[in-house]
Amino acid sequence: MTKSLIYSVSFHLVIILLTVLTLPFMIRQPIELPPIVSVELIQISDTTNIPYAPKARKVIEKVKKEEKRVVSEQAPPAAKAKEKPDRIPMPEDNKEEKKIVKKKQNPEEIKPEIRQSSEFEKKEIIDTNQIAALIDKAKEEAALVEKNSNKITQSNQKNSFATGLTLTQEDALRAQIFGCWSVPLGLPYDGDLLVRIKLQLKQDGTITKSEILDHERMNRPGQKFYKILAESALRAVRLCQPLKVPPTGYEKWKELQLNFDPTEMLKG
Amino acid sequence: MKFIKEIKNTILIIFVTLALSACSTGKKSGVAIDGDVYTGKDTVEYLAKGVPDRIFFATNKSGLTTAARATLRKQSTYLRKNKDLNVTIEGHADERGTREYNLALGERRANAAKDYLMTYGISGKRISVISYGKERPANTASTPLAWSQNRRSVTVKVN
Amino acid sequence: MYKKFLFTFIILFHSSLANALIEVDITRGNLDPLPIAVSPLYVDPKSENIKDIKTKSLGEEVSKIIEKNFKSTGLFNPLNKDAFVQKPDIAHLKPRFEDWRLIKAQALVTGKLNVKDGKLKVEFRLWDLTASKEMIALAFTTTPGNWRRVAHIISDKIYERLTGEEGYFDTRIIYVAESGPKNRRVKKLAIMDQDGANTKYLTLGNELVLTPRFNPANQMVTYLSYFRNLPRVYLLDIETGQQEVVGNFPGMTFAPRFSPDGKKIIMSFAKDGNSDIYTMDIETRVVEKITEHSSIDTSPSFSPDGKYICFNSDRSGLQQIYVMKSDGSDVKRITFGSGLYGTPVWSPRGDLIAFTKVRKGKFYIGVMRTDGSGERLLTENFYQEAPSWSPNGRVLIFYRETKSGPSGEGFSAKLWSIDITGYNERKIDTETDASDPSWSSLLSK
Repeated sequence: MTKSLIYSVSFHLVIILLTVLTLPFMIRQPIELPPIVSVELIQISDTTNIPYAPKARKVIEKVKKEEKRVVSEQAPPAAKAKEKPDRIPMPEDNKEEKKIVKKKQNPEEIKPEIRQSSEFEKKEIIDTNQIAALIDKAKEEAALVEKNSNKITQSNQKNSFATGLTLTQEDALRAQIFGCWSVPLGLPYDGDLLVRIKLQLKQDGTITKSEILDHERMNRPGQKFYKILAESALRAVRLCQPLKVPPTGYEKWKELQLNFDPTEMLKG
Repeated sequence: MKFIKEIKNTILIIFVTLALSACSTGKKSGVAIDGDVYTGKDTVEYLAKGVPDRIFFATNKSGLTTAARATLRKQSTYLRKNKDLNVTIEGHADERGTREYNLALGERRANAAKDYLMTYGISGKRISVISYGKERPANTASTPLAWSQNRRSVTVKVN
Repeated sequence: MYKKFLFTFIILFHSSLANALIEVDITRGNLDPLPIAVSPLYVDPKSENIKDIKTKSLGEEVSKIIEKNFKSTGLFNPLNKDAFVQKPDIAHLKPRFEDWRLIKAQALVTGKLNVKDGKLKVEFRLWDLTASKEMIALAFTTTPGNWRRVAHIISDKIYERLTGEEGYFDTRIIYVAESGPKNRRVKKLAIMDQDGANTKYLTLGNELVLTPRFNPANQMVTYLSYFRNLPRVYLLDIETGQQEVVGNFPGMTFAPRFSPDGKKIIMSFAKDGNSDIYTMDIETRVVEKITEHSSIDTSPSFSPDGKYICFNSDRSGLQQIYVMKSDGSDVKRITFGSGLYGTPVWSPRGDLIAFTKVRKGKFYIGVMRTDGSGERLLTENFYQEAPSWSPNGRVLIFYRETKSGPSGEGFSAKLWSIDITGYNERKIDTETDASDPSWSSLLSK
C-alpha cells in the first residue's frame, strides 16, 4: 500500500518536473504563431503484404480491446483540453508544432489510434474531425433552433421578386454559383442531399458570415457524405465571392439562404 | 395492283438468287465454311494416311457435324488397329468468347469427340481430354475463317 | 407538454423568419476536376541517406506519385508546380492562402519528411484554400523502402476527405503477363502496384497460367495453372511462394474466386463435358456442389455479404447471367437483353454487377443492378472482358485485345480501367502485354 503510494508520488513528481522543464523552453519559441494542428500518426507495417492475416487480425482485436480501455481512461483530461487548448511541446525538436488534445466526438475516430505504434502513442494526438468540431462549437446554439426545422426543406413559396430579387437577378446569382460548385462524387442516389446555407452579405456581395443549417447532421453516423457535400457547398459560395447581388435593395438580401441539392443533376 | 406486286416479288427473287449464287461461287473459290463450320483441309494434320487429326465446330456449339463424325470413325478404325496407342483430345474455342466460358466449351467439344470414339468401341481409358479454351489458336488471324479453324478438337497421340 | 409547446413556438417563429428570408435553389454544379496544388514535401536536411533511396529528392517524388494518382481519377486537376509561390517548408507550416488561391487552387497538399534512425517519417496536411483552414493532417512512420506506399496512403486519405469515398491507391493488381506469338503465348503471374510500379513475376512461364484472383486479405492468390498439362485451380501464398492444388478433382477445375470471408474457393469443375460450380473450404477441404445442370455453369462470383452467387450459364441455349443463393437454390436468370453475357462480378458495395457482353461481334464492359435492371454499357471494343472492381466500387479494370493480322501480327493485350460512370477510360501501363487483372482490396485499412 505505502509502496504503491511512493511509486505514485514519485511518478507524479517526475511528470511535474518534466513539465516545468519543458514549458519555459516552449515559451522561448519563435514569435510567429503557427496554426494549431494535430497530426495522426499511423504506423505502416514493414511487411507490405499481409495487413489482414487472420493471426494479425486477432492481435489487432486484442489490442483494440486494451486500447479502448486506455482511451477511456485518458478521456477526462482530454475533455478539459477542449475547452482550453493547452499547448504541449512536441517530443522531437520540431518546434513549430503544437498539438491540442481533443475529446473524441465520434466513436469511429478511436479506430486509427489502434494503429499507432506504442512508441508514439503518448506523443501524438489525433483529431480527424477538427472542422466538424469547430463548426460545432461555433454553432451550438443555432443547432438547437434548427433541429426542429429538419423537415422543412425547400419552402414552396419562394420569395423571389415579390420581396427581394427579380427572376433575372436570381438567375444571375444561381448561374454564378453553378459555376463555382464542384459536386463531390460518392453521393448516395437515394439520400436526402439538401444542404441549406444561410449567408450574411455586405453590400458588395462579399460574405460576412456563412452558416450551414442542419449542420449537426454532418456528425451523424452514416451521413459522412453530408459533411463532404456541405463542405463543397461552402467552398462554392466562398469561391464565388463577391456574389452577384442586385445594386439595390440591400435590406432585402443582406441575409440570403441557398439551398444546394444535386439530386436532380445526379439523376439527370 | 396485285400484278405489280407480283412483278416486284419476282424481281426480288431473281435478285436474291443472283446474290446468293455470287456468294456460293465466292466460297468455292476460297473459303471452305459451311454455316460457320470449317470444312477445308488447311491446318489439318494426319494421325496416319487418310486419318485427319481434328474436327470443327459451329460457334458456341459442341454438336458433331456429319463431316466430324466421318473423321472420328476414321480415327476409331485407326485406334482399333493400334491397340497400344493412347490419345489426348484437345478441345479449343475461337477468340470471340470470354476466357472462362471458352475453357468449358473446349472441354465440352473434346468430350463430344471422346464420347463418339467410345461408341465405336474405343476404351475411355485410352482417351484423355484437355481444354485449352482460346489459348492455343491454330490460325492466329482475327478473321471468321481463322475463328472457324480454331473451333476444333484435335486428337493427339501420347505414346 | 411544455417542451412540445416550446418546439412549436420555435418552429412557428422560424418559419416566419424563413418567409422573410430570400431563398435560392442551387440544383446544378460542375463535375470539372477539382484544381489541387500538391507542394513537394519538405525534406528535413538532417535526414539520413538510405541505400538505393535518394532522401533529398524523396519529397519531390512523393508529391509526384500523389499527383499521378489524382490525375488518374479524372476528379482532380493537379496544378503545375512552376506556378507555386511558397517554399515547401513554409507552406507546410502555414500556407499563404491568398497566394495559392491566386493560381486557382481550391485545395493544397503540403508535407514534410525525415529519415532518422532508419525510419521514415512523413507528415502531410490538406488545406481547404477557400475556407483557409486545414482539413486533415496525418503522419506516418515506416521503413524507408515503403515510401511509395506512404504516397499512396496519403493519396487515399485526401481522396476520401474530398470525395467522401474510400480511396483505392494503396492497392495492387495481379494479372497475367503475356509475351511471345499468339499461338505459343508465354504467360506468367505478375503483381504490381496500382500505378504500375514494383512489378514482380510470381511464376516463370513454364506452364500456362490464367485468371489469378486475390483473397480478401491480399495475401493469397487463386488461379488456373496447366502444370504438367493438368489444368487445375491452384492456391499461391504471395509471401512464401508456396503453391498447392485446390482439392482433388478428377478433371479440369477453373474460374476460381475467393468467398468474401476468404475461407472458401468457388470454381467450376468440368466432368464429361459438363461444367458445374463447386466450393471448397480451404481449411477443412470440404467440397460442395452448388449447381447441378447439364449446361456450362461458370465464372461464379459471390456477393460481398456471401449470401448470393452470380454466374454465367448457357442453360437457356446462350450464355447468360444468373443469380442464386449461396447454397445453389433459387436460381434466377437476370439478363434478357440481346447478345451474350458473361464474367459477372459483384461490386464490393453490393449494389451492382459488372459483366462482359457480346453483341453483333462487339464486346462491351457494363454494369447493372443485381436483379439485371438498369444495364449500362460503359465501353465498346473489338475484344475486351473480365472486369474487376476497385475496392471502393468506383472503377473497373479489365483487359482488351486487339485484332491481329493474317499471321497473328499486331496482336496485343493490355489492361484498361474505366469509371463506372463510363468516363475516364485509360490504359494502364504494364511492362509486358497483360490480361486477366484482379484488383486487391486496400492494403492498409
